Amino acid sequence: MVSLSQTSLPTWAHTPQVEPVDPTGRVHTLVGVTGDGAEGDSPTGTAVREVVAGWQAASGSATLHVHLCADVAAGIAALEADLVSARVGHRVLVAGTADACLAVRAAAVRAGLADDELRFGVVAADVRTVWCVHCSATTAAAVGLDEDLTCSGCARTLVVYPHVSRRTGHHLGFMVDAEDQPWEVPA
Amino acid sequence: MSTMTATSPTALTATALPAGARLTLVVAALDDTVPGVRSLTLARPDGAVLPSYTPGSHVVVEIPAGEGRARRLANAYSLTGESVHPTTYAISVLRCDPESGAAGGSAWIHTLGLGDTLTVTAPRSAFAPVQLATRHLLVGAGIGITPLVSHLRSALRWGRDVQLLQVSREGYGAHVDEVRALGGDRVTVLGDRAALAAHLGPLLADQPIGTHLYTCGPTAFMDAVVATARDLGWPPSRVHLEHFGLDALDPGDPFTVAVDGGPTLAVPSGTSLLEALEEHGYDVPNLCRQGVCGECRLGVVPAASTGVHHRDLFLGDDARAAGDCAMACVSRALTDAATGRAHLEVSL
Repeated sequence: MVSLSQTSLPTWAHTPQVEPVDPTGRVHTLVGVTGDGAEGDSPTGTAVREVVAGWQAASGSATLHVHLCADVAAGIAALEADLVSARVGHRVLVAGTADACLAVRAAAVRAGLADDELRFGVVAADVRTVWCVHCSATTAAAVGLDEDLTCSGCARTLVVYPHVSRRTGHHLGFMVDAEDQPWEVPA
Repeated sequence: MSTMTATSPTALTATALPAGARLTLVVAALDDTVPGVRSLTLARPDGAVLPSYTPGSHVVVEIPAGEGRARRLANAYSLTGESVHPTTYAISVLRCDPESGAAGGSAWIHTLGLGDTLTVTAPRSAFAPVQLATRHLLVGAGIGITPLVSHLRSALRWGRDVQLLQVSREGYGAHVDEVRALGGDRVTVLGDRAALAAHLGPLLADQPIGTHLYTCGPTAFMDAVVATARDLGWPPSRVHLEHFGLDALDPGDPFTVAVDGGPTLAVPSGTSLLEALEEHGYDVPNLCRQGVCGECRLGVVPAASTGVHHRDLFLGDDARAAGDCAMACVSRALTDAATGRAHLEVSL
């Protein structure tokens, strides 16, 4: 496998870690994606709340907007609402599982944020979302890089390529034996 | 296809220029209205279309040796005119007085007459607008307005949100009338640094999150702009600088150099590594000779050297820390504290 530092995968997308608060920020939006359901706190939710509390304690005199959200969609909605009036000097910190962080990062990138305005606190990195190049379906699964999974859209066996789209946050997946298929030079 | 033959030869010329190519241009117009600043309009002798360029680009003008100039000079000047299919290039040159220590390149340009020829490089871009920006904030001082003129023109043409803040002394402002006419109420001209100090903080504190900042002017001015931005939480990726070049560097300590394992050469204080190598017959590619362009980058063997005193404006922190390259025009050897030795082992 290629060295992961040479890929589009952030380190935190394969090894859980919590990045520190950027002390130069004037305002911080903290988004925690807890994954909590109706039945109450999940282990992920507890870990995410700990990360967010740590960031709050380390933020000094900066202004904070804290959003603990049950899922990615709510997290993105809270972030986008904050960014409407945000000024340069604003930082965004996202806590959650790696797939949730990648999805919220994609929304932040689409909104025009730069890499040096974003920090992440990842509590688990075993689930990946994989986008199929053949049918465009996205499949979420506990699968490692360079491992196979079955596409939820077309049932092809996909290999999880070590590339993540900045725009969507999904890993790239393509047919594992694509090179071995019979083919002809088109007439 | 018959339409191919109808394509104008000038259009082909404009796109076929290889990197590093030189253009020989004639002075088509001169404007000395602003005290100390000469604006030149340059064109091909046959009037053909010149290569288009990215806003913020510059050309490097070759200035011959002689008339008090010990060696050939190469001065970079921003292009202030039309950037798409231009038939002329426009530059504005502030005269820096050789009697106050300037190298004499700008003074030479101020002696040129209509119809004189000069050699320039193809346009080079080191200060381009960021396409993802939702807003472009341009902050210039004095002759530092020059790379911002093409930024402003391009942003207005493409309907991008843009604002220009310019510091120019009344009556000494090159391009001030032009940018006012172009930008209307998007342009603010301040008369002095005190007005800027009052203006800049509130301005930089209240920019929407997608804004990028571009600044050009004297070093102290840019340092102040960068410090204000940093204090207000601007991340480095949103702040873009165009340097004129380094202010006068100290002559530096003497050191020795060896090229590709060859003989050891002395580089005296006051002589640059580039000058020393040239005097010994080495051919080092170079352009600006003031630590900006990166053209004269040399490989350095860290294990056989005592460390690089970089002094350039080109390398990033990582490249500096690696210690495996140096800009021949400004970089020198660090002195090893234990042995007192200062030596670079370089490769061309």
